[in-house]
Amino acid sequence: MSATTTEPATAEPPRLDAFLRFVVRARQANMFLVLVLALFVGLVFGGIMIIVTQPTLLTSWSHFFSHPGGTIASSFNTVWFAYEELFQGAVVNFHSLRLLIDDPSKVTLATALIPLSGTLTYATPLIVAGLGLAIGFRSSLFNIGGQGQVILGGVLALLVGFSFHLTPVLQVPLEMIAAIGGGALLAGFAGVLKAYTGAHEVIVTMMSNYTMIAVLGYLLIQPLFARPGVLDGASKAVGVSGQLPYFFSHLNAALLLNVGFIIALVAVFAVQWFFTRSKTGFELLMVGQNPDAARVAGIYSKRSIIICLALAGGLLGLAGMLELTGVDHFVTPNFGGSYGFDAITVALLGRNKPWGVFFAAIFFGAMFTGGEAMQAFTPTNIQFSLADVIQAVVVFCVATPALLVEVFHLRGGSRLMNSTYAGGWV
Amino acid sequence: MKLELRGITKRFGSLTANNNVNLVVNPGEIHCLLGENGAGKSTLMNILYGLITPDEGQILIDDEVVTIVDPKDAVNHGIGMVHQHFMLIPVFSIADNVILGSEPLKPWPVIDYKAATSRLIELANEYDFEIDDPQATVEDLPIGAQQRVEILKALSHEASVLILDEPTAVLTPQETDAFMVILRSLKASGKSIIFITHKLREVLAIADVITVMRLGEVVGVTTPKETDERGLAAMMVGRDVNFVVEKLPASIGDVVLKVENLYVEDSRGLTSVKDVSFEVRAGEILAVAGVQGNGQTELVEALTGMRHPSSGHVTLNGVDLAGESVRRFLNAGVGHVPEDRQRYGLIPSLSISDNLVLDQLDDPRFRRRFGRDLKAIKANGIQKRESFDIRSQSEESPVGALSGGNQQKVVMARELSRELKVLICSQPTRGLDVGSIEFMHRQIVDIRDSGVAVIIVSSELDEVVALGDRIAVLYDGEIQDIVPPTASREDLGLLMAGAGKAKVNA
Repeated sequence: MSATTTEPATAEPPRLDAFLRFVVRARQANMFLVLVLALFVGLVFGGIMIIVTQPTLLTSWSHFFSHPGGTIASSFNTVWFAYEELFQGAVVNFHSLRLLIDDPSKVTLATALIPLSGTLTYATPLIVAGLGLAIGFRSSLFNIGGQGQVILGGVLALLVGFSFHLTPVLQVPLEMIAAIGGGALLAGFAGVLKAYTGAHEVIVTMMSNYTMIAVLGYLLIQPLFARPGVLDGASKAVGVSGQLPYFFSHLNAALLLNVGFIIALVAVFAVQWFFTRSKTGFELLMVGQNPDAARVAGIYSKRSIIICLALAGGLLGLAGMLELTGVDHFVTPNFGGSYGFDAITVALLGRNKPWGVFFAAIFFGAMFTGGEAMQAFTPTNIQFSLADVIQAVVVFCVATPALLVEVFHLRGGSRLMNSTYAGGWV
Repeated sequence: MKLELRGITKRFGSLTANNNVNLVVNPGEIHCLLGENGAGKSTLMNILYGLITPDEGQILIDDEVVTIVDPKDAVNHGIGMVHQHFMLIPVFSIADNVILGSEPLKPWPVIDYKAATSRLIELANEYDFEIDDPQATVEDLPIGAQQRVEILKALSHEASVLILDEPTAVLTPQETDAFMVILRSLKASGKSIIFITHKLREVLAIADVITVMRLGEVVGVTTPKETDERGLAAMMVGRDVNFVVEKLPASIGDVVLKVENLYVEDSRGLTSVKDVSFEVRAGEILAVAGVQGNGQTELVEALTGMRHPSSGHVTLNGVDLAGESVRRFLNAGVGHVPEDRQRYGLIPSLSISDNLVLDQLDDPRFRRRFGRDLKAIKANGIQKRESFDIRSQSEESPVGALSGGNQQKVVMARELSRELKVLICSQPTRGLDVGSIEFMHRQIVDIRDSGVAVIIVSSELDEVVALGDRIAVLYDGEIQDIVPPTASREDLGLLMAGAGKAKVNA
């Protein structure tokens, strides 16, 4: 392949030669390229989905041979418009941006950036939850109990949140401790069961989800938690001193980005350090990759299993706390939603690397907030699920680089394919 | 059938794994392919079997060029391969494994198990294989029998050329003898055999023609009549090889490790080490000889804390460590080079540098405030890679990409970098090439001379005799006798077969 591209280059002018060499080198498979291509494939696939789900467009395709130009143009326009809304809803609003440039007195930069703030706010708990899952995967442990740990973390943070009225500097850390401790205990218990009885962590953690959903339902009808006079199952709210402060709400009340994002960033650095530098992190990696060799090296794998799951659970508990104190400030029976499971995909998309998880979560946030905008603002009412479709295709492509390597004829792809995402189901 | 490989060249990036290799295998010939790890033997055989496509060259069968791009093509052309790591399904019976992929069917699409069994028995009779029970589950069979199943599987596909990739690496001496008989009977029935191995003694015993490879090229074609072990080794390595381990008489010190009345149970709860007692002194090598499976594994596990003995004492410098954790054993100064280095000694996905500190995470040399000192770990990797001549792209290469010899060097380098009182090496040179064996033996003798007590567990009689200052022979979990290395091979053989001290002396 490379031979055919470089061969004619010798006869061409040097600039083209350089360009061809660049193309050849750019086809060298690496993770960045895979991500770009995955996004490309996702958008193309999403575009096809838009076309086949719009009745008007489909009718125009039936006249394709009489008006090919019109058909393609109208299809392209619809897709383009949808993606424009998706982007504006997720990152920045072009309209306000233009107003801002024309007449800065009418609109502030803050207004233009509301979508980005929404994306990052949505991503915040997901970053931390994804980190928790990544810790488990790197050690070959599959923690399915994210949802339960998020709920327990949220509930304990709520308890601290409405019981005390200290200063935020004291109360927020207290909530964090309660949430991390709760998640760590719940997941750590699964670790104890696995280490001492061999009970598989997938089963135990998955069951703990249902337990926690039931516990949440029970708590919400108890006088201690339930909000007086409300029948929809909402809990009391966290006091102002227990809420994560917003950064920019003084500029615009819709800017909901809060201190939680900084906590998530700190968590990314901490997990990064944990895996590269810390002794325990390295031990977990050893046990995950080869438990037999770890044992010969004197590492007590029972302890490692428990520590690993407890750390993962602690991060998921923290995610629950960030969701509670940063966004809603109270709990409903649906609290936690699909964070526990989305986090699995986020960890996968981020290839279990801390910064990978960070950007994967932001991508998820963008697809969520952008998807809502797309559904609301496109005239033909393109469904929110389209964002899910794009997201799914991207995840699928990143999870199977072999596919992209094959389709785009990337060079040196075997290295990518061999890299592991999660160890076996030990 | 005559097989010929002509001008085979295969490059992987900048590495040339095979360079213009020619090989001719005549019908009814046992053709040994000899070479160090990484000499290109496996690449060549994988090309022949269709697992790798060559960059240049041709494969000829009966002087006609054939295309083999898939193992299926190879099988259709009558080429069968028995891999070093068996490709059997452990929970299936022998018969099921043999018919796998070419199941005989009844007139309707249901497997005809009766036909399968009778075909298996027919095949076994044809080649004089002992198959007691075609319905026996493969995982219950000893390794030697599993290998016979692999060979039967290849034969059932009507292979006329059999590629055997290091078939004897996993066999006990007795199984190896039985294997040689099988090879001769295959040859007698007109099959050609390509036999890949490191073991010079076997090559000289069985080969008709020997092709020696080095660094991807054929460096010589010879026959057992024209050469000897020394000549073959020199061809393989490219220089003269020292077969006799040079060592001065041991300067023996105090007792370091004392094992008393040790009983150990294996994973099935059977007592596999029975009433074992011995002492090892500083500066001596105690070699534990015995056929694989006579309690060596459990003994080593008990001496390194991996397995808790059911009774008895393991005393190191006066402290009884029996039943303590692996960590305690390591901290007390026990070095351990495990039997299966890939499974127990290394983490293949991690770098050489990381693997060099696996059991030294607490060592202050590799710690910095709260975390690991990555700089020191890298520096250690660079230094050890240099001093142990670990051949790799860099100290950051994953250990899984290294050859067996280089992997063993990593394990050895790691264990020797701790403060040792006792070094326990289990099968230290299994599967290694001549050059690496020489290197390992040198290291072991050096560490002995520095005053460490050394225990070698090996099923290679040559190694036991060459290294041991005293030889303990293990049979059925008991020490038959502890003899000096001057004992005759016959006596050692009798002890290994459980004849006992009395008979040997009589």
